[in-house]
Amino acid sequence: MAGLTLKNVFKRYENSGKKKNRQQNDYAVKDLNLVCEQGEFVAFLGPSGCGKTTTLRMIAGLEDITKGEIYIGDRLVNHLHPKDRNIGLAFEDYAMYPPLDVYGNVAFNLRAKGVDKGEIDRRVREIAPLMQIDDILDKMPVKLSGGQKQRVNIARAIIREPELLLMDEPLSHLDGKARQSMRVEIKRLINKIKCTTVYVTHDQLEAMSLADKIAIINFGVLQQFGTPAEVYDDPVNEFVASFIGEPPMNILETTIIKEDGTFFFTFANSNLKIAVPGRYYGVVSDGFRCKMGVRPMDVLVGGDGSKGTPEEIATFENLGDERRIGIRVGDMLLMLITEDEKRYRSGDIIKLEVREEKTHLFDIETGNRIRELA
Amino acid sequence: MNNGKKRLGYAAQNVLLIVYAVFALFPLIWMLIISLKSDAQVFTTTFVFTPTLANYKEVLLRSDYTSYMIDSLIISGGAVVVSVLVGVPAAYALARYNFHRKEDLAFQILSFKFAPEILVVLPLFMIYQKLGLYDTYLGLIWVYQLISMPLLIWVVRGYFEDISVEIEYAAQVDGYTWYQIFFKMLVPLIKPGLVSAALLAFIFAWNSFTFPLILAGRDIQPITVAITKYLGTDTAHYGQLAVAATVSAVPAMIFALCIQKHLVRGLSFGAVKG
Amino acid sequence: MARIQLENVKKSFGRVQALNGIDIDVKDKEFFVLFGPAGAGKTTILNCIAGISLPEEGVIRFNDEIVNLVDPAHRNVAMVFENYALYPQMTVYDNMAAALRSNLYKTDEATIKEKVHAAARMMKMENLLERLPSQLSNGQKQRVAMGRALVRTPNVFLMDEPLAHLDAKLRNAMRTELKEMQANLGSTCIYVTHDFMEAMALGDRIAIINQGEIVQIGSGDEIYYMPCNEFVAQLMGDPQINIIPGRIKEEKGNCEFCFEAGGQKIAVPMPEDRELFEKIRRTGLQNADMGLRPQNVKYSFAPEKGYFRTTVYSYESIGNKSVIQADCGDYQLRMIAPNGLKIQIDQDIYVQLEVDHSMFFDQQTKEYVSRYDEASIKAFAAEQEVR
Repeated sequence: MAGLTLKNVFKRYENSGKKKNRQQNDYAVKDLNLVCEQGEFVAFLGPSGCGKTTTLRMIAGLEDITKGEIYIGDRLVNHLHPKDRNIGLAFEDYAMYPPLDVYGNVAFNLRAKGVDKGEIDRRVREIAPLMQIDDILDKMPVKLSGGQKQRVNIARAIIREPELLLMDEPLSHLDGKARQSMRVEIKRLINKIKCTTVYVTHDQLEAMSLADKIAIINFGVLQQFGTPAEVYDDPVNEFVASFIGEPPMNILETTIIKEDGTFFFTFANSNLKIAVPGRYYGVVSDGFRCKMGVRPMDVLVGGDGSKGTPEEIATFENLGDERRIGIRVGDMLLMLITEDEKRYRSGDIIKLEVREEKTHLFDIETGNRIRELA
Repeated sequence: MNNGKKRLGYAAQNVLLIVYAVFALFPLIWMLIISLKSDAQVFTTTFVFTPTLANYKEVLLRSDYTSYMIDSLIISGGAVVVSVLVGVPAAYALARYNFHRKEDLAFQILSFKFAPEILVVLPLFMIYQKLGLYDTYLGLIWVYQLISMPLLIWVVRGYFEDISVEIEYAAQVDGYTWYQIFFKMLVPLIKPGLVSAALLAFIFAWNSFTFPLILAGRDIQPITVAITKYLGTDTAHYGQLAVAATVSAVPAMIFALCIQKHLVRGLSFGAVKG
Repeated sequence: MARIQLENVKKSFGRVQALNGIDIDVKDKEFFVLFGPAGAGKTTILNCIAGISLPEEGVIRFNDEIVNLVDPAHRNVAMVFENYALYPQMTVYDNMAAALRSNLYKTDEATIKEKVHAAARMMKMENLLERLPSQLSNGQKQRVAMGRALVRTPNVFLMDEPLAHLDAKLRNAMRTELKEMQANLGSTCIYVTHDFMEAMALGDRIAIINQGEIVQIGSGDEIYYMPCNEFVAQLMGDPQINIIPGRIKEEKGNCEFCFEAGGQKIAVPMPEDRELFEKIRRTGLQNADMGLRPQNVKYSFAPEKGYFRTTVYSYESIGNKSVIQADCGDYQLRMIAPNGLKIQIDQDIYVQLEVDHSMFFDQQTKEYVSRYDEASIKAFAAEQEVR
């Protein structure tokens, strides 16, 4: 059974003016189709203003749906009030009720529903250790740290045993360390309660590390919906390719030339030449212009006997765990990551090798992926 | 889907707003109408209205009305100038420096506005008599500070606090002296707040009645006090009274329109920051 | 261009001691990084150097000249502020020209134009010159703040977390660009950050600051491989270094490291390293914390010789690679793994420690004692510095 289904969902905010003819551009969310399986952890990922939070708010019922249908389980919820949708919400800003202690905050929803006291207590005691808040149940919200507040916030969302858990950037207020440990906690929690979860974030790292599936959204349009491995290794377009991964995929404009029956990527103002993998031979031709994408992990420093192109290092960054090397290709910087202990300086010459089979081609105009012929 | 409902809601809102506008504006419009009526028509129970400028002629040409206006201008303007000269540095100090009992001092300044004027005016009257400040420009400008200064300090302080201190550091590092920083970097940034606060202070000072009523009256007569002259002992020249009131309201109205945009922002600053 | 020295600088705000005897000697043309957690006093040090704050004790020298009483304008420093501190009423061009228009650094307009355009070209923002700061994105503001410093030829560039407000991706891209520019700065630079990657990538030398005191000064490699205590070790590296509490047992010249992992008592033999063993013997180290970077923990999903069994606490991607945390009772062992493994939470995992990459800390004081291959790492770090 599907946990959450979005069918052709549109959202348009009413303009205060009456410019009916501008409708086409005004959709905050455009024709969104999505099916999350029962118990799946789905991340909505995109830059700020891409429509991911709007979508979440429509699912929660905090925002009207302009067009389309939203199902939670098998129920059409378009016209249901938020409280009747059986959802748990955890938002970016921890809106706790300040006069109540942590216990009161967690229990608030159940009390409002008139669940009997014994049952409330049983459930709070059950959830508290899960979220590691059992030792702060009698504290007031003002005394809590950011991480603790967020734990309480999530505990509050899951105590009503919702069919669907919605989280909107719950970690964005936390600093580096707290965020990392919270990420782990959330992942373990969802794994334990097996609740269908939608998680909104702009941080690709959060999405990659937490989600079973990622929906990447830009300008209100769903770009790609797939597992972290799928969106990382097989992006559908340039946007997805450059949004996922840090440092991002190198994407360079290239002209393909043919020499002795072999195709090569060549780059303006650079002597770099990379063989085109054979699987693309059906789609490229001599003089074909496109963009080539390759992950920094797939660019290598060749050893002594390497046949790679000699290139001058523009930047060398020693980051302790790894080292990053930047090479000028025309006016672009080609980044590569190495865990090799060798230290370089800018100006050193290295042999540059590229794992050709890992290169992707993108259309120069649309940014869409150019795939080999099936 | 529920367009009908929405439209009904808008209509209701508009009706309410119109009712309120009529309620608020009616006295002003009525005053304007009276100023254009002859004395005979003022008292008619049925609405008769044949516009005449006779009252205007009487007030503006045949009385000392202009000299009252000038008095008002001198006192209110003087008060605002002094407030700006003293208040802006004071606001800067309150915004930037930490000193003992700073907040108490700031609150003290604001509290000048809490007391009803009538409460302080009698002691002031006696002090002014002794000091020879009674019925002088200096004395009135001085006392008008009670009205204009707190307002100005609180609004401008909010603006100063809104400027990050790093901007001053940056300018220092860039080689500017403190005075240059103050006049080149800070003053342009607080200008909107300063202008609106100053104009608002001017309006308040202009409209002030109690202070000039008690502390002046013979040589110096600001317009607010002078208007009462048209209420004679035997007859009240309502037409002329209305003219005097209407004309005296004009500067305040013009200023209010000028600063409309800044007014809400400027004032809410002072209010929130406390 | 100048050598900047701080000697025993102390500064307090009310009852809070912000700086507690800071000694720094920044060489001419050095790129010096002040690194530490929030509230450590890094910005205060910078403010003292700029002259914005006055230290209560200690001296600050520019080229051997004491500048304590020189006001900020006359110290000839250029500063990049964390919140950019752009003049909101001025265009980008005027912002950048402001310093050159002050009475002190007066320059004719033609030269100003040339310098501003040169700096703008360097920061790739020539198209922004006519805009007001309010019309800029954070990344652009950051460039302007940087450009404003670059138009000058100051004694020292002071940069206060210039990249902190940018999102992760932009921050990394800007860091790389800054690295590229570093050679062209041709001036001393003191750079404040709380991001260890920035510190490692940019700094010729790094000073670790905590609670108003300097904890360690050294090159990136020195600090990464030989952190002076556990605090520093944990700051450098993402994911964090593993700290494993245990005991060193010596028998017949052979050492083994005994520790607990989820209730099991485990003893791993320590490979011979004469210098290390000598150091351990000399200091009488018994109760020790072993520090081991996540890349030096090996795992397997089937039992293997030399591996011990534990369970997976979490598995998450951190971009190009993933981190497995293995549950060891009181602590978790972090290790690096490739992306895309099929791992269930709480499943069994077998772990081996590469002891020959470990470092040892005193369990009581948390101070660094020694590590494997210390001599060769020292030589390696020294060689980097000579270059």
